[in-house]
Amino acid sequence: MFTYFIHRVLVMIPTLLVISVITFIIIQLPPGDYLSNQMAELIASGDRAATEKLAFLRQEFGLDKPMLEQYGVWLGIWPGNNGFSGILQGDLGWSFEYNLPVGEVVGDRLFLSLVLNFTTMLFVYAVSFPIGVYTAVRQYSFGDHAMTFIGYIGLATPNFLLALILLFLAKKYFGVSIGGLMDEEFIDQDMSWGKLVSIFEHMVVPVIVIGTSGTAGMIRRLRANLLDELQKQYVTTARAKGLTNRRLLLKYPLRMALNPFVADIGNLLPQMISGSAIVAVVMSLPTSGPMLVSALQSQDQYLAGSFLLFLAALTVVGMFVSDLALAALDPRIRLGSEAAK
Amino acid sequence: MGIMSRGFFAALLVGAVGVASAPVHPAAAMTYVETSYFAEQVARGEMPDVARRLPKTPSVVAMGGEKVIGRPGGTMRTLIGRAKDVRLFVVYGYARLVGYNEKFELLPDILQSVEVEEGRRFTFKLRPGHKWSDGQPFTSEDFRYWWEDVANNKRTSPAGPPRLLLSDGRPPRFEVLDETTIRYTWPKANPFFLPRLAGASPLFIYRPSHYLKKFHGKYADPKILKKLLRKHRTRSWASLHNRFDNMYRFDNPDLPTLQPWVNLTRPPATRFVGVRNPYYHRVDETGRQLPYIDKFIMIVSDGKLIAAKAGTGEVDLQARSLAFNNLTFLRDNEKEGKFETYLWRIAKGSHVALFPNMNVADPAWSKLMRDVRFRRALSLGVDREAVNESLYFGLAIMGNNTMLPGSPLYREEYQKKWAEYDPDLASELLDEIGLTEYNDDDIRLMPDGRPLEIIIETAGEDTEQTDVLELIAESWAEIGVKLYIKPSQREVFRNRIFSGQAQMSIWSGLENGVASAASNPEELAPTSQQQLMWPKWGQYYDTSGQMGQPPDLPEVQELSRLAAEWIESSDPARKERIWHRMLAIHADQVYSIGVIAGVLQPVVVKHGLRNVPKKGIYNWDPGAHFGIYRPDTFWLDR
Repeated sequence: MFTYFIHRVLVMIPTLLVISVITFIIIQLPPGDYLSNQMAELIASGDRAATEKLAFLRQEFGLDKPMLEQYGVWLGIWPGNNGFSGILQGDLGWSFEYNLPVGEVVGDRLFLSLVLNFTTMLFVYAVSFPIGVYTAVRQYSFGDHAMTFIGYIGLATPNFLLALILLFLAKKYFGVSIGGLMDEEFIDQDMSWGKLVSIFEHMVVPVIVIGTSGTAGMIRRLRANLLDELQKQYVTTARAKGLTNRRLLLKYPLRMALNPFVADIGNLLPQMISGSAIVAVVMSLPTSGPMLVSALQSQDQYLAGSFLLFLAALTVVGMFVSDLALAALDPRIRLGSEAAK
Repeated sequence: MGIMSRGFFAALLVGAVGVASAPVHPAAAMTYVETSYFAEQVARGEMPDVARRLPKTPSVVAMGGEKVIGRPGGTMRTLIGRAKDVRLFVVYGYARLVGYNEKFELLPDILQSVEVEEGRRFTFKLRPGHKWSDGQPFTSEDFRYWWEDVANNKRTSPAGPPRLLLSDGRPPRFEVLDETTIRYTWPKANPFFLPRLAGASPLFIYRPSHYLKKFHGKYADPKILKKLLRKHRTRSWASLHNRFDNMYRFDNPDLPTLQPWVNLTRPPATRFVGVRNPYYHRVDETGRQLPYIDKFIMIVSDGKLIAAKAGTGEVDLQARSLAFNNLTFLRDNEKEGKFETYLWRIAKGSHVALFPNMNVADPAWSKLMRDVRFRRALSLGVDREAVNESLYFGLAIMGNNTMLPGSPLYREEYQKKWAEYDPDLASELLDEIGLTEYNDDDIRLMPDGRPLEIIIETAGEDTEQTDVLELIAESWAEIGVKLYIKPSQREVFRNRIFSGQAQMSIWSGLENGVASAASNPEELAPTSQQQLMWPKWGQYYDTSGQMGQPPDLPEVQELSRLAAEWIESSDPARKERIWHRMLAIHADQVYSIGVIAGVLQPVVVKHGLRNVPKKGIYNWDPGAHFGIYRPDTFWLDR
């Protein structure tokens, strides 16, 4: 188990490195850079020397350097204007759009993203587990059909549409202000009970919206797996031996069916994170999503790069956690190589 | 557009010629009332009392018409689509050296008086004792600093003083007469100087010198400057200086200002709080310092949510990001949301217009776009009636991007020429160009075999433009033209047009649709890169020939000539002839395809917010949206 753990940790490092290269290349792919987008504004303000000014700025920001060098500086393995100062040194770079270090711009947005995604994750599990088990055990009952129907609607409805409808209903019936993660008067305040309540109220809709499709998928998977197991010989045997239904279910088939449930964390996380970006734009949540989108649009490369890298890291860590949980849960995986001998 | 008051153009005339005199009030006889918001600070001795905060002769605002004297206090909220819109504090605040009033007459505002001689010598008198928002004196030194140390400093302004300040290519002579008097003199008359100072995005010819000197190589202590450079990761003091010098962008809370509300929030943020400026120069007749409202809060929200949020009563004042098609929703929710929806006129030449990019890079497209028959055919192929009926309840004006019926220059032929829906004639014209081959989808083929698919770019900020485009796509399909919509972010959008990557774009039309012959016709000639039909020709003019390309179509060259002639001419009849010639060329050549105009702008006003006029003109420049209606006089009756 220990070697497995170490091995997984070591694999994460090259993975993240490769991801950082890919994100950087992708961000640079569109023609031009942040400054060429700024040109319009300078010229609009009647600045005849916009091109000279931009050449100057380009030099100042190091955008005239080759891409490889820019990447090196960003990562912190190449000396930039301020010596070695990059991701490895904890410096996320400079946001052109906000004229601030990326770390300051990102601020608590990443934290709120984390909270939101974590809550959604809990929601997905809390809802899908009982429903999944129920629909499998009571296959083709009224409850099964009803849940399946709702689940399919959850899968099929576009997130932004669901978001708009729920926002409206939440406003109409519960008086929750539309969009955002808290009532606007709390935005700059320190944490307080009122603020916490407000955040909680505003989290309900996004959590449901982001979590619905994941929940629906999860229900279907758990149901299918459990149904498979329920047909197997050992269940019949156990039942013949007189085990109560409940005991039987919890002790044997459910354990077997739990595997994909845990393994899915890795699939669920990236799906939720990318899904939440769109929802966050629609609902104007102060999470990383909207800022990432605008950073990509204006080619604010270090800001976008740091966001993407962070989200990638989150996914990689999620995978790691799911692998560990799986290994703990299932001896066949943990001892896979030895058992094969 | 009968609603448009005659004052509007009469005033523009005044604006171009001179400045009406401000009403004189015996300020000395006035006793000032301390604002409750500052009372505590004043009592503790942390702030001078109101009489010492105001200039010796503050600007006394006479309420009149619908406006009444209000009570200070309260918070006003509005929504903005992106954090950059924090600049609206400057736009709505509308404290200008000289500013327009509701009748579009130019009056001194920050200045105590303006004297204009021969239209070329401008003597400005400041209000003695006027202070910046941090309490430091606002004097002629602030003008000198900007002119000598910023505008004419090779490092802060590598290209010299802003173009807008040149008349006939020559900069003014600047003189400081005394601590509160300054003078700008041009060799020739400069009718644009004052209007530019009064703009929505004004020309700032002064700076808080006491603050900015800290970053200026000429004044700052080199050691401290070095530390600042390291801290802000800048190489030169000039870029450091320019980074903090954002009078218009308003994103530096440390930069002192003269606006009614001072931004306290440093971006990035999703909520910007503007707090009343304790040193603001305007008072009402009872001696209460303006603005009435203590806090003006701008909350960043996705543009698409703004209408929904406004409809649930989450704002106090909102016009931005609301469109006419939100009206039904807004009216339905008025009672529950406790607000009223006013309808203001939009005075643009076109509310929505298509701009064929004649500087498109693709040679095949360039040839088509420059062919007047092609542009005419596209215009004839737009079913404006369908757009008007389905999106604007049939209330909008259909036709070209030209003057509105409220303008003295309006003629029906300018509005209707090549703008009546006629698919047969459109098809004929397209056939005549040689676009006679079709593909299997009934789309015409270009001479090189590509299908005739026009990609129209939008800045993607509201769905209204997309809705209009969907309808146009249907009617263009009838004449064998396929339309695709491509939304992108505003900066990218402009950039793609400037570089010639975009074939066609959708935007609003002429900024001033109710101009008179005395207003500058520069919008009709290639004068700026921002003109989406000929960005490169505009840039050529804009950069005095350094960048871009000279116009190569004879009609466009004539427009440039006419615009230059207008500036030189002083004969009103000749100016009017020039305007008519230019409008006629536009109508005939269809440089932009106007769709509809005269649309109404919904303005959401929360119950209890007073002094917001029920009827107004919603215009950017002149107008500054709410600016000329003076939001500093709005107040909350709760």
